[in-house]
Amino acid sequence: MTSGFSVQVEAVKASLYSRMAYRGDFFISISLTFIFEFITPLVTLLIYSNGSSFPGWTLYQVLLIQGVFMMSKGIAFMFFYGLVGNVLGGVQSGTFDMFLLRPRLVLFMAIATGFDSEELGKFIGGLILFIVALIHLPTPSFIQWIQFILLMITSLLVMFSFSLISSGVVFVWVGCSRVYEIFDSISSFGIYPRTIFSKGIQNIITFIVPIVMIGFFPASILLGKNINGVLFGVISSISFVLLSLCFWYWMLSKYTSAGC
Amino acid sequence: MIHIENLRKTYATYHRGNSFKEAIGSMFVRDKVLVEALKGISFDIGKGELVGFLGPNGAGKSTTLKILTGILHPTSGTANILNYTPWKDRKKYVGNIGAVFGQKSQLLWDIPPIDAFYLNKAIYSIPEKEFESNLSNMVELLSVGDIMKKPTRQLSLGERMKCEFIMALLHMPKIVFLDEPTIGLDVIAKDKIRDFIQEMNKRGVTFILTTHDIQDIERLAKRVIVINHGELVFDNSLEALRNHMGEKKIVRLSTEKPIKNINLKGVSITNSLSDYDAELELDMSLMKLNEFITYINNSCIVKDLAIQEVPIESAIKDIFTSI
Repeated sequence: MTSGFSVQVEAVKASLYSRMAYRGDFFISISLTFIFEFITPLVTLLIYSNGSSFPGWTLYQVLLIQGVFMMSKGIAFMFFYGLVGNVLGGVQSGTFDMFLLRPRLVLFMAIATGFDSEELGKFIGGLILFIVALIHLPTPSFIQWIQFILLMITSLLVMFSFSLISSGVVFVWVGCSRVYEIFDSISSFGIYPRTIFSKGIQNIITFIVPIVMIGFFPASILLGKNINGVLFGVISSISFVLLSLCFWYWMLSKYTSAGC
Repeated sequence: MIHIENLRKTYATYHRGNSFKEAIGSMFVRDKVLVEALKGISFDIGKGELVGFLGPNGAGKSTTLKILTGILHPTSGTANILNYTPWKDRKKYVGNIGAVFGQKSQLLWDIPPIDAFYLNKAIYSIPEKEFESNLSNMVELLSVGDIMKKPTRQLSLGERMKCEFIMALLHMPKIVFLDEPTIGLDVIAKDKIRDFIQEMNKRGVTFILTTHDIQDIERLAKRVIVINHGELVFDNSLEALRNHMGEKKIVRLSTEKPIKNINLKGVSITNSLSDYDAELELDMSLMKLNEFITYINNSCIVKDLAIQEVPIESAIKDIFTSI
Protein backbone atom coordinates (compact mmCIF):
# COMPACT_ATOMS: atom_id res chain seq x y z
CA MET A 1 0.00 0.00 0.00
CA THR A 2 2.78 2.41 1.06
CA SER A 3 4.90 1.49 -1.94
CA GLY A 4 1.86 1.94 -4.21
CA PHE A 5 1.39 5.42 -2.75
CA SER A 6 5.06 6.29 -3.36
CA VAL A 7 4.68 5.18 -7.01
CA GLN A 8 1.62 7.42 -7.29
CA VAL A 9 3.56 10.35 -5.77
CA GLU A 10 6.53 9.87 -8.13
CA ALA A 11 4.19 9.51 -11.13
CA VAL A 12 2.34 12.72 -10.20
CA LYS A 13 5.68 14.52 -9.80
CA ALA A 14 6.92 13.22 -13.17
CA SER A 15 3.67 14.26 -14.84
CA LEU A 16 3.83 17.75 -13.30
CA TYR A 17 7.46 18.17 -14.37
CA SER A 18 6.48 17.10 -17.92
CA ARG A 19 3.61 19.56 -18.10
CA MET A 20 5.65 22.38 -16.59
CA ALA A 21 8.32 21.90 -19.24
CA TYR A 22 5.95 23.86 -21.47
CA ARG A 23 4.87 26.64 -19.09
CA GLY A 24 2.77 28.54 -21.61
CA ASP A 25 0.80 25.46 -22.61
CA PHE A 26 0.40 24.46 -18.95
CA PHE A 27 -1.28 27.72 -17.90
CA ILE A 28 -3.29 28.13 -21.12
CA SER A 29 -4.61 24.55 -20.88
CA ILE A 30 -5.70 24.93 -17.25
CA SER A 31 -7.36 28.28 -18.03
CA LEU A 32 -9.16 26.99 -21.13
CA THR A 33 -10.40 23.88 -19.32
CA PHE A 34 -11.69 26.20 -16.58
CA ILE A 35 -13.46 28.48 -19.10
CA PHE A 36 -15.00 25.66 -21.22
CA GLU A 37 -16.44 23.98 -18.14
CA PHE A 38 -18.46 27.13 -17.42
CA ILE A 39 -20.47 26.84 -20.65
CA THR A 40 -23.16 24.59 -19.09
CA PRO A 41 -23.63 26.78 -15.94
CA LEU A 42 -23.83 29.86 -18.20
CA VAL A 43 -26.56 28.20 -20.29
CA THR A 44 -28.40 27.40 -17.02
CA LEU A 45 -28.04 31.03 -15.94
CA LEU A 46 -29.38 32.16 -19.31
CA ILE A 47 -32.42 29.86 -18.97
CA TYR A 48 -33.29 31.22 -15.51
CA SER A 49 -32.60 34.88 -16.36
CA ASN A 50 -35.13 34.57 -19.21
CA GLY A 51 -37.84 33.50 -16.83
CA SER A 52 -37.69 29.78 -17.63
CA SER A 53 -36.62 27.07 -15.17
CA PHE A 54 -36.27 23.35 -14.48
CA PRO A 55 -39.57 22.65 -12.69
CA GLY A 56 -39.08 22.24 -8.94
CA TRP A 57 -35.49 23.48 -8.98
CA THR A 58 -34.12 26.93 -8.25
CA LEU A 59 -31.13 28.34 -10.15
CA TYR A 60 -28.67 27.76 -7.29
CA GLN A 61 -29.91 24.22 -6.71
CA VAL A 62 -29.19 23.39 -10.37
CA LEU A 63 -25.82 25.16 -10.18
CA LEU A 64 -24.99 23.05 -7.12
CA ILE A 65 -25.63 19.85 -9.13
CA GLN A 66 -23.43 21.17 -11.92
CA GLY A 67 -20.71 22.23 -9.44
CA VAL A 68 -20.66 18.76 -7.85
CA PHE A 69 -20.61 17.18 -11.32
CA MET A 70 -17.63 19.36 -12.33
CA MET A 71 -15.71 18.63 -9.15
CA SER A 72 -16.20 14.90 -9.57
CA LYS A 73 -15.20 15.09 -13.23
CA GLY A 74 -12.18 17.25 -12.33
CA ILE A 75 -10.89 14.78 -9.73
CA ALA A 76 -11.58 11.82 -12.02
CA PHE A 77 -9.94 13.35 -15.08
CA MET A 78 -6.94 14.45 -13.03
CA PHE A 79 -6.28 11.16 -11.24
CA PHE A 80 -7.67 8.29 -13.29
CA TYR A 81 -9.07 9.31 -16.65
CA GLY A 82 -5.47 9.46 -17.99
CA LEU A 83 -5.92 5.68 -18.13
CA VAL A 84 -7.88 6.15 -21.36
CA GLY A 85 -5.08 8.16 -23.01
CA ASN A 86 -2.43 5.69 -21.83
CA VAL A 87 -4.29 2.70 -23.26
CA LEU A 88 -5.33 4.54 -26.43
CA GLY A 89 -1.80 5.67 -27.30
CA GLY A 90 -0.03 2.64 -25.85
CA VAL A 91 -2.05 0.05 -27.75
CA GLN A 92 -1.70 1.96 -31.01
CA SER A 93 2.08 2.36 -30.73
CA GLY A 94 2.85 -0.86 -28.84
CA THR A 95 4.26 1.05 -25.85
CA PHE A 96 1.57 -0.43 -23.61
CA ASP A 97 4.11 -3.27 -23.29
CA MET A 98 6.04 -1.07 -20.87
CA PHE A 99 3.20 -1.26 -18.31
CA LEU A 100 3.32 -5.05 -18.51
CA LEU A 101 7.05 -4.99 -17.79
CA ARG A 102 6.55 -3.41 -14.38
CA PRO A 103 6.12 -5.51 -11.22
CA ARG A 104 2.80 -3.83 -10.44
CA LEU A 105 -0.84 -4.23 -11.42
CA VAL A 106 -1.11 -3.15 -15.06
CA LEU A 107 -4.23 -1.14 -14.28
CA PHE A 108 -2.50 0.67 -11.43
CA MET A 109 0.51 1.55 -13.59
CA ALA A 110 -1.68 2.84 -16.41
CA ILE A 111 -3.68 4.99 -13.97
CA ALA A 112 -0.75 6.26 -11.89
CA THR A 113 1.26 7.40 -14.92
CA GLY A 114 -1.82 9.03 -16.46
CA PHE A 115 -2.09 11.89 -13.93
CA ASP A 116 -3.22 15.03 -15.77
CA SER A 117 -2.68 18.34 -14.00
CA GLU A 118 -4.49 20.19 -16.81
CA GLU A 119 -7.79 18.93 -15.41
CA LEU A 120 -7.20 20.95 -12.26
CA GLY A 121 -9.11 23.71 -14.09
CA LYS A 122 -12.25 21.52 -14.09
CA PHE A 123 -11.99 20.89 -10.37
CA ILE A 124 -11.34 24.54 -9.47
CA GLY A 125 -14.24 25.62 -11.70
CA GLY A 126 -16.52 23.08 -10.03
CA LEU A 127 -15.39 24.12 -6.56
CA ILE A 128 -16.08 27.81 -7.28
CA LEU A 129 -19.53 26.99 -8.65
CA PHE A 130 -20.22 24.73 -5.65
CA ILE A 131 -19.26 27.45 -3.13
CA VAL A 132 -21.21 30.17 -4.96
CA ALA A 133 -24.33 27.96 -5.07
CA LEU A 134 -24.00 26.95 -1.41
CA ILE A 135 -23.77 30.59 -0.27
CA HIS A 136 -27.23 31.11 -1.75
CA LEU A 137 -28.72 27.97 -0.23
CA PRO A 138 -29.60 26.85 3.34
CA THR A 139 -26.56 25.55 5.25
CA PRO A 140 -26.48 21.72 5.23
CA SER A 141 -26.26 19.85 8.52
CA PHE A 142 -23.26 17.80 9.66
CA ILE A 143 -25.07 14.55 8.78
CA GLN A 144 -25.81 15.89 5.30
CA TRP A 145 -22.08 16.65 4.82
CA ILE A 146 -21.15 13.09 5.85
CA GLN A 147 -23.74 11.67 3.45
CA PHE A 148 -22.45 14.02 0.75
CA ILE A 149 -18.84 12.79 1.18
CA LEU A 150 -19.96 9.16 0.95
CA LEU A 151 -21.96 9.89 -2.20
CA MET A 152 -19.01 11.81 -3.68
CA ILE A 153 -16.91 8.66 -3.26
CA THR A 154 -19.65 6.74 -5.09
CA SER A 155 -19.67 9.48 -7.73
CA LEU A 156 -15.92 8.95 -8.27
CA LEU A 157 -16.51 5.18 -8.50
CA VAL A 158 -18.96 5.80 -11.35
CA MET A 159 -16.42 8.07 -13.07
CA PHE A 160 -13.82 5.34 -12.57
CA SER A 161 -16.17 2.85 -14.25
CA PHE A 162 -16.46 5.16 -17.26
CA SER A 163 -12.68 5.36 -17.53
CA LEU A 164 -12.46 1.55 -17.33
CA ILE A 165 -15.08 1.07 -20.05
CA SER A 166 -13.65 3.77 -22.33
CA SER A 167 -10.09 2.43 -22.01
CA GLY A 168 -11.22 -1.20 -22.23
CA VAL A 169 -12.93 -0.53 -25.51
CA VAL A 170 -9.77 0.86 -27.13
CA PHE A 171 -7.89 -2.41 -26.57
CA VAL A 172 -10.05 -3.72 -29.41
CA TRP A 173 -11.11 -0.55 -31.24
CA VAL A 174 -7.51 0.51 -31.68
CA GLY A 175 -7.07 4.27 -32.05
CA CYS A 176 -10.75 5.10 -31.37
CA SER A 177 -10.28 8.54 -29.80
CA ARG A 178 -14.05 9.16 -29.96
CA VAL A 179 -14.44 7.34 -26.63
CA TYR A 180 -14.09 10.72 -24.90
CA GLU A 181 -17.03 12.11 -26.86
CA ILE A 182 -19.11 9.01 -26.17
CA PHE A 183 -18.53 9.60 -22.45
CA ASP A 184 -19.38 13.31 -22.74
CA SER A 185 -22.66 12.50 -24.52
CA ILE A 186 -23.74 9.90 -22.00
CA SER A 187 -22.63 11.86 -18.95
CA SER A 188 -24.45 15.03 -20.07
CA PHE A 189 -27.60 13.43 -18.56
CA GLY A 190 -25.95 13.96 -15.18
CA ILE A 191 -25.58 17.73 -15.26
CA TYR A 192 -29.32 18.44 -14.91
CA PRO A 193 -31.85 17.42 -12.24
CA ARG A 194 -32.99 13.83 -12.80
CA THR A 195 -36.66 14.83 -12.51
CA ILE A 196 -36.64 16.68 -15.85
CA PHE A 197 -36.28 13.35 -17.71
CA SER A 198 -38.99 10.77 -18.46
CA LYS A 199 -39.51 7.89 -16.01
CA GLY A 200 -37.78 5.40 -18.37
CA ILE A 201 -34.65 7.51 -18.72
CA GLN A 202 -34.64 8.17 -14.97
CA ASN A 203 -34.55 4.42 -14.33
CA ILE A 204 -31.76 3.87 -16.85
CA ILE A 205 -29.57 6.67 -15.43
CA THR A 206 -30.19 5.52 -11.86
CA PHE A 207 -30.10 1.73 -11.98
CA ILE A 208 -28.33 0.67 -15.19
CA VAL A 209 -25.74 3.35 -15.96
CA PRO A 210 -25.83 5.33 -12.69
CA ILE A 211 -25.00 8.75 -14.12
CA VAL A 212 -27.21 10.51 -11.57
CA MET A 213 -24.74 9.39 -8.95
CA ILE A 214 -22.08 11.74 -10.37
CA GLY A 215 -23.75 15.05 -9.55
CA PHE A 216 -27.47 14.77 -8.85
CA PHE A 217 -27.55 12.45 -5.82
CA PRO A 218 -24.64 14.06 -3.86
CA ALA A 219 -26.03 17.56 -4.50
CA SER A 220 -29.59 16.50 -3.61
CA ILE A 221 -28.40 15.17 -0.25
CA LEU A 222 -26.84 18.54 0.55
CA LEU A 223 -30.06 20.27 -0.48
CA GLY A 224 -32.08 18.05 1.82
CA LYS A 225 -34.26 16.93 -1.09
CA ASN A 226 -36.41 13.90 -0.55
CA ILE A 227 -35.22 11.65 -3.40
CA ASN A 228 -35.97 8.02 -4.13
CA GLY A 229 -33.48 5.36 -5.13
CA VAL A 230 -30.28 6.60 -3.41
CA LEU A 231 -29.56 3.18 -1.86
CA PHE A 232 -30.33 1.38 -5.13
CA GLY A 233 -28.15 3.96 -6.90
CA VAL A 234 -25.23 3.16 -4.59
CA ILE A 235 -25.71 -0.59 -5.09
CA SER A 236 -25.92 -0.21 -8.87
CA SER A 237 -22.80 2.03 -8.82
CA ILE A 238 -20.81 -0.62 -6.97
CA SER A 239 -22.09 -3.30 -9.38
CA PHE A 240 -21.22 -0.98 -12.27
CA VAL A 241 -17.59 -0.67 -11.04
CA LEU A 242 -17.22 -4.42 -10.57
CA LEU A 243 -18.62 -5.15 -14.03
CA SER A 244 -16.38 -2.45 -15.55
CA LEU A 245 -13.33 -3.99 -13.87
CA CYS A 246 -14.21 -7.43 -15.27
CA PHE A 247 -14.73 -5.84 -18.70
CA TRP A 248 -11.34 -4.06 -18.55
CA TYR A 249 -9.43 -7.22 -17.66
CA TRP A 250 -11.30 -9.16 -20.33
CA MET A 251 -10.29 -6.53 -22.90
CA LEU A 252 -6.70 -6.56 -21.58
CA SER A 253 -6.56 -10.29 -22.30
CA LYS A 254 -7.19 -9.39 -25.95
CA TYR A 255 -4.10 -7.15 -26.08
CA THR A 256 -1.81 -8.38 -28.83
CA SER A 257 1.00 -5.78 -28.67
CA ALA A 258 2.28 -4.06 -31.77
CA GLY A 259 5.49 -3.52 -33.69
CA CYS A 260 8.80 -5.11 -32.85
CA MET B 1 17.68 -20.57 -15.49
CA ILE B 2 15.58 -20.40 -18.67
CA HIS B 3 13.81 -23.49 -19.91
CA ILE B 4 11.55 -23.15 -22.93
CA GLU B 5 9.69 -26.09 -24.39
CA ASN B 6 7.66 -26.35 -27.54
CA LEU B 7 6.54 -22.72 -27.51
CA ARG B 8 3.88 -21.95 -30.11
CA LYS B 9 2.12 -18.74 -30.92
CA THR B 10 -0.62 -18.38 -33.49
CA TYR B 11 -2.43 -15.10 -33.87
CA ALA B 12 -5.17 -13.83 -36.11
CA THR B 13 -4.71 -10.94 -38.44
CA TYR B 14 -6.95 -9.48 -41.09
CA HIS B 15 -6.25 -9.30 -44.79
CA ARG B 16 -7.24 -5.89 -46.13
CA GLY B 17 -5.97 -5.94 -49.70
CA ASN B 18 -4.27 -3.03 -51.37
CA SER B 19 -6.80 -1.67 -53.83
CA PHE B 20 -9.32 1.05 -52.94
CA LYS B 21 -12.19 -1.37 -53.56
CA GLU B 22 -10.64 -3.97 -51.23
CA ALA B 23 -9.98 -1.31 -48.57
CA ILE B 24 -13.64 -0.20 -48.68
CA GLY B 25 -14.81 -3.83 -48.66
CA SER B 26 -12.63 -4.63 -45.65
CA MET B 27 -14.55 -2.04 -43.60
CA PHE B 28 -17.53 -4.40 -43.71
CA VAL B 29 -16.13 -7.90 -44.23
CA ARG B 30 -12.56 -8.85 -43.38
CA ASP B 31 -10.70 -12.03 -44.22
CA LYS B 32 -9.23 -13.52 -41.08
CA VAL B 33 -5.74 -14.94 -41.57
CA LEU B 34 -4.04 -17.12 -38.97
CA VAL B 35 -0.31 -16.50 -38.62
CA GLU B 36 1.91 -19.12 -37.02
CA ALA B 37 4.54 -16.85 -35.48
CA LEU B 38 6.19 -19.64 -33.46
CA LYS B 39 6.01 -23.29 -34.42
CA GLY B 40 7.28 -25.01 -31.29
CA ILE B 41 10.66 -23.71 -30.25
CA SER B 42 12.63 -25.15 -27.34
CA PHE B 43 15.89 -24.11 -25.72
CA ASP B 44 17.66 -23.73 -22.38
CA ILE B 45 19.82 -20.85 -21.22
CA GLY B 46 22.06 -21.03 -18.18
CA LYS B 47 22.93 -18.38 -15.58
CA GLY B 48 25.40 -15.76 -16.80
CA GLU B 49 25.12 -16.66 -20.48
CA LEU B 50 25.02 -13.98 -23.16
CA VAL B 51 23.06 -15.42 -26.03
CA GLY B 52 22.58 -13.85 -29.44
CA PHE B 53 19.04 -14.39 -30.69
CA LEU B 54 18.95 -13.95 -34.42
CA GLY B 55 16.57 -14.25 -37.30
CA PRO B 56 15.41 -12.30 -40.34
CA ASN B 57 12.52 -9.81 -40.08
CA GLY B 58 9.29 -11.62 -39.23
CA ALA B 59 11.09 -14.74 -38.01
CA GLY B 60 9.41 -14.62 -34.60
CA LYS B 61 12.20 -13.09 -32.50
CA SER B 62 10.14 -10.27 -31.02
CA THR B 63 7.18 -12.59 -30.41
CA THR B 64 9.50 -14.92 -28.49
CA LEU B 65 10.91 -12.04 -26.49
CA LYS B 66 7.42 -10.74 -25.68
CA ILE B 67 6.38 -14.18 -24.45
CA LEU B 68 9.55 -14.54 -22.38
CA THR B 69 9.00 -11.11 -20.80
CA GLY B 70 5.39 -11.94 -19.89
CA ILE B 71 3.85 -9.46 -22.33
CA LEU B 72 2.17 -12.08 -24.51
CA HIS B 73 0.59 -15.45 -23.79
CA PRO B 74 1.73 -18.31 -26.04
CA THR B 75 -0.84 -20.49 -27.77
CA SER B 76 0.82 -23.56 -26.24
CA GLY B 77 4.10 -24.71 -24.76
CA THR B 78 5.84 -24.15 -21.46
CA ALA B 79 8.42 -21.76 -20.08
CA ASN B 80 10.17 -21.90 -16.76
CA ILE B 81 12.28 -18.83 -16.11
CA LEU B 82 13.68 -18.32 -12.60
CA ASN B 83 10.96 -20.77 -11.50
CA TYR B 84 8.21 -18.57 -12.90
CA THR B 85 5.92 -18.92 -15.88
CA PRO B 86 6.24 -15.40 -17.34
CA TRP B 87 2.65 -14.96 -18.54
CA LYS B 88 1.10 -16.51 -15.42
CA ASP B 89 3.34 -15.01 -12.72
CA ARG B 90 3.93 -11.74 -14.57
CA LYS B 91 3.87 -9.37 -11.58
CA LYS B 92 6.38 -11.33 -9.49
CA TYR B 93 8.46 -12.39 -12.47
CA VAL B 94 9.09 -9.01 -14.14
CA GLY B 95 10.70 -7.66 -10.97
CA ASN B 96 13.59 -10.02 -11.75
CA ILE B 97 14.08 -9.09 -15.37
CA GLY B 98 14.94 -6.02 -17.37
CA ALA B 99 14.30 -5.16 -20.98
CA VAL B 100 15.64 -2.64 -23.44
CA PHE B 101 13.75 -2.18 -26.66
CA GLY B 102 15.71 -0.11 -29.14
CA GLN B 103 12.53 1.28 -30.61
CA LYS B 104 10.41 1.73 -27.47
CA SER B 105 11.56 4.17 -24.86
CA GLN B 106 11.02 3.78 -21.13
CA LEU B 107 12.21 7.32 -20.45
CA LEU B 108 9.85 10.27 -20.20
CA TRP B 109 10.29 12.62 -23.14
CA ASP B 110 9.96 16.01 -21.45
CA ILE B 111 11.77 15.41 -18.19
CA PRO B 112 15.38 14.50 -17.39
CA PRO B 113 16.30 10.79 -17.15
CA ILE B 114 17.09 11.20 -13.44
CA ASP B 115 13.37 11.84 -12.72
CA ALA B 116 12.43 8.70 -14.66
CA PHE B 117 15.03 6.77 -12.62
CA TYR B 118 13.34 7.94 -9.41
CA LEU B 119 10.00 6.75 -10.77
CA ASN B 120 11.55 3.32 -11.38
CA LYS B 121 13.01 3.38 -7.88
CA ALA B 122 9.46 3.66 -6.52
CA ILE B 123 8.01 1.11 -8.97
CA TYR B 124 10.65 -1.54 -8.15
CA SER B 125 10.83 -0.53 -4.45
CA ILE B 126 14.62 -0.18 -4.67
CA PRO B 127 16.10 0.74 -1.26
CA GLU B 128 17.72 4.20 -1.21
CA LYS B 129 21.31 2.97 -0.63
CA GLU B 130 21.05 0.31 -3.34
CA PHE B 131 19.57 2.83 -5.75
CA GLU B 132 22.35 5.36 -5.15
CA SER B 133 25.08 2.75 -5.48
CA ASN B 134 23.62 1.13 -8.64
CA LEU B 135 23.03 4.50 -10.21
CA SER B 136 26.51 5.89 -9.56
CA ASN B 137 28.03 2.63 -10.76
CA MET B 138 26.16 2.66 -14.06
CA VAL B 139 26.57 6.40 -14.57
CA GLU B 140 30.31 5.87 -14.31
CA LEU B 141 30.34 2.83 -16.61
CA LEU B 142 28.33 4.66 -19.28
CA SER B 143 29.85 8.13 -18.68
CA VAL B 144 26.48 9.88 -18.50
CA GLY B 145 27.01 11.99 -15.36
CA ASP B 146 26.54 15.32 -17.11
CA ILE B 147 23.45 14.43 -19.16
CA MET B 148 21.15 12.93 -16.55
CA LYS B 149 19.64 16.27 -15.64
CA LYS B 150 18.95 17.40 -19.21
CA PRO B 151 15.43 16.81 -20.57
CA THR B 152 15.33 13.53 -22.50
CA ARG B 153 14.18 15.28 -25.68
CA GLN B 154 17.48 17.22 -25.73
CA LEU B 155 19.65 14.09 -25.63
CA SER B 156 21.26 12.42 -28.63
CA LEU B 157 20.11 8.91 -29.57
CA GLY B 158 23.29 7.45 -28.08
CA GLU B 159 22.83 9.32 -24.80
CA ARG B 160 19.20 8.27 -24.64
CA MET B 161 20.07 4.65 -25.20
CA LYS B 162 22.65 4.71 -22.41
CA CYS B 163 19.96 6.09 -20.09
CA GLU B 164 17.54 3.38 -21.29
CA PHE B 165 20.09 0.82 -20.09
CA ILE B 166 20.31 2.45 -16.66
CA MET B 167 16.50 2.54 -16.49
CA ALA B 168 16.30 -1.20 -17.29
CA LEU B 169 19.09 -2.28 -14.94
CA LEU B 170 18.66 -0.04 -11.89
CA HIS B 171 16.86 -2.80 -10.00
CA MET B 172 19.68 -5.25 -10.82
CA PRO B 173 17.67 -7.80 -12.80
CA LYS B 174 18.94 -11.36 -13.13
CA ILE B 175 18.03 -11.54 -16.82
CA VAL B 176 17.98 -8.74 -19.38
CA PHE B 177 16.27 -8.94 -22.75
CA LEU B 178 17.71 -6.65 -25.39
CA ASP B 179 15.85 -5.98 -28.62
CA GLU B 180 18.09 -4.14 -31.10
CA PRO B 181 19.78 -2.02 -28.42
CA THR B 182 22.33 -0.47 -30.78
CA ILE B 183 19.97 0.40 -33.65
CA GLY B 184 20.85 3.75 -35.22
CA LEU B 185 23.83 4.44 -32.95
CA ASP B 186 27.26 5.68 -34.03
CA VAL B 187 30.33 3.47 -33.55
CA ILE B 188 31.45 5.19 -30.35
CA ALA B 189 28.06 4.87 -28.66
CA LYS B 190 27.78 1.25 -29.84
CA ASP B 191 31.17 0.50 -28.38
CA LYS B 192 30.29 2.06 -25.03
CA ILE B 193 27.06 0.09 -24.84
CA ARG B 194 28.77 -3.16 -25.80
CA ASP B 195 31.40 -2.55 -23.08
CA PHE B 196 28.58 -1.97 -20.59
CA ILE B 197 26.75 -5.17 -21.56
CA GLN B 198 30.00 -7.11 -21.30
CA GLU B 199 30.74 -5.66 -17.86
CA MET B 200 27.25 -6.40 -16.52
CA ASN B 201 27.49 -9.92 -17.94
CA LYS B 202 30.77 -10.41 -16.07
CA ARG B 203 28.89 -9.43 -12.92
CA GLY B 204 26.51 -12.33 -13.50
CA VAL B 205 23.61 -10.79 -15.45
CA THR B 206 22.22 -13.10 -18.13
CA PHE B 207 21.54 -11.41 -21.47
CA ILE B 208 19.41 -12.41 -24.42
CA LEU B 209 20.35 -10.16 -27.29
CA THR B 210 18.27 -9.71 -30.42
CA THR B 211 20.00 -7.67 -33.08
CA HIS B 212 20.58 -7.26 -36.79
CA ASP B 213 24.04 -5.85 -36.09
CA ILE B 214 26.42 -8.77 -36.49
CA GLN B 215 29.18 -6.86 -34.72
CA ASP B 216 27.04 -6.94 -31.55
CA ILE B 217 27.00 -10.72 -31.83
CA GLU B 218 30.69 -11.10 -32.71
CA ARG B 219 31.70 -8.83 -29.88
CA LEU B 220 29.35 -10.10 -27.17
CA ALA B 221 27.73 -13.49 -27.72
CA LYS B 222 29.33 -16.82 -27.02
CA ARG B 223 26.24 -18.68 -28.09
CA VAL B 224 23.84 -18.03 -30.95
CA ILE B 225 20.24 -19.12 -31.41
CA VAL B 226 18.79 -18.57 -34.87
CA ILE B 227 15.08 -18.80 -35.64
CA ASN B 228 13.41 -18.52 -39.00
CA HIS B 229 9.74 -18.84 -39.97
CA GLY B 230 8.98 -19.49 -36.29
CA GLU B 231 11.32 -22.50 -36.05
CA LEU B 232 14.63 -22.88 -34.28
CA VAL B 233 17.21 -23.54 -36.99
CA PHE B 234 20.50 -23.13 -35.15
CA ASP B 235 21.55 -23.30 -31.51
CA ASN B 236 25.26 -23.51 -30.94
CA SER B 237 28.40 -21.55 -30.10
CA LEU B 238 29.57 -18.54 -32.09
CA GLU B 239 32.55 -20.66 -33.16
CA ALA B 240 30.20 -23.31 -34.57
CA LEU B 241 28.38 -20.58 -36.44
CA ARG B 242 31.67 -19.41 -37.95
CA ASN B 243 32.49 -23.01 -38.91
CA HIS B 244 29.07 -23.42 -40.48
CA MET B 245 30.56 -22.31 -43.76
CA GLY B 246 33.14 -25.11 -43.56
CA GLU B 247 36.84 -24.52 -44.15
CA LYS B 248 36.27 -21.66 -46.53
CA LYS B 249 38.45 -18.57 -46.84
CA ILE B 250 38.14 -15.36 -48.77
CA VAL B 251 41.26 -14.57 -50.84
CA ARG B 252 41.87 -11.05 -52.21
CA LEU B 253 44.35 -11.23 -55.02
CA SER B 254 46.38 -8.78 -57.18
CA THR B 255 48.52 -10.25 -59.99
CA GLU B 256 50.90 -9.19 -62.75
CA LYS B 257 49.17 -11.35 -65.39
CA PRO B 258 45.39 -11.37 -65.96
CA ILE B 259 43.39 -13.71 -63.76
CA LYS B 260 41.42 -15.89 -66.16
CA ASN B 261 39.73 -19.26 -66.09
CA ILE B 262 40.85 -20.67 -62.79
CA ASN B 263 39.72 -24.25 -63.15
CA LEU B 264 40.59 -25.48 -59.71
CA LYS B 265 38.32 -27.64 -57.59
CA GLY B 266 37.24 -25.64 -54.47
CA VAL B 267 38.10 -22.24 -55.94
CA SER B 268 35.59 -19.78 -57.33
CA ILE B 269 35.84 -16.11 -58.28
CA THR B 270 33.26 -14.25 -56.23
CA ASN B 271 34.13 -10.72 -57.32
CA SER B 272 36.20 -9.77 -60.35
CA LEU B 273 37.41 -6.21 -59.74
CA SER B 274 39.61 -5.98 -62.87
CA ASP B 275 41.67 -8.33 -65.05
CA TYR B 276 44.37 -8.24 -62.38
CA ASP B 277 42.36 -7.96 -59.16
CA ALA B 278 39.79 -10.39 -57.84
CA GLU B 279 38.17 -11.81 -54.76
CA LEU B 280 37.99 -15.60 -54.59
CA GLU B 281 36.41 -18.13 -52.29
CA LEU B 282 38.69 -21.02 -51.41
CA ASP B 283 37.34 -24.23 -49.89
CA MET B 284 40.35 -25.67 -48.10
CA SER B 285 38.78 -29.08 -47.72
CA LEU B 286 39.08 -29.43 -51.52
CA MET B 287 42.22 -27.43 -52.23
CA LYS B 288 45.07 -26.82 -49.80
CA LEU B 289 46.15 -23.21 -49.31
CA ASN B 290 49.82 -23.78 -50.21
CA GLU B 291 48.84 -25.64 -53.41
CA PHE B 292 46.50 -22.81 -54.34
CA ILE B 293 49.21 -20.16 -53.76
CA THR B 294 51.77 -22.12 -55.80
CA TYR B 295 49.31 -22.56 -58.64
CA ILE B 296 48.21 -18.93 -58.74
CA ASN B 297 51.77 -17.62 -58.47
CA ASN B 298 52.91 -19.83 -61.33
CA SER B 299 50.03 -18.89 -63.59
CA CYS B 300 49.48 -15.16 -62.79
CA ILE B 301 52.48 -14.00 -60.63
CA VAL B 302 51.12 -12.75 -57.30
CA LYS B 303 51.68 -9.05 -56.51
CA ASP B 304 49.59 -8.97 -53.36
CA LEU B 305 47.47 -11.50 -51.50
CA ALA B 306 45.24 -11.28 -48.42
CA ILE B 307 43.44 -14.18 -46.77
CA GLN B 308 40.34 -13.53 -44.66
CA GLU B 309 37.74 -15.52 -42.77
CA VAL B 310 34.32 -15.84 -44.43
CA PRO B 311 32.22 -13.08 -42.83
CA ILE B 312 29.80 -14.35 -40.19
CA GLU B 313 26.98 -12.65 -42.13
CA SER B 314 27.45 -15.27 -44.86
CA ALA B 315 26.98 -18.09 -42.37
CA ILE B 316 23.85 -16.45 -40.96
CA LYS B 317 22.51 -15.73 -44.44
CA ASP B 318 23.13 -19.36 -45.34
CA ILE B 319 21.18 -20.53 -42.27
CA PHE B 320 18.35 -18.05 -42.99
CA THR B 321 17.97 -19.32 -46.55
CA SER B 322 18.46 -23.01 -45.80
CA ILE B 323 14.81 -23.59 -44.81
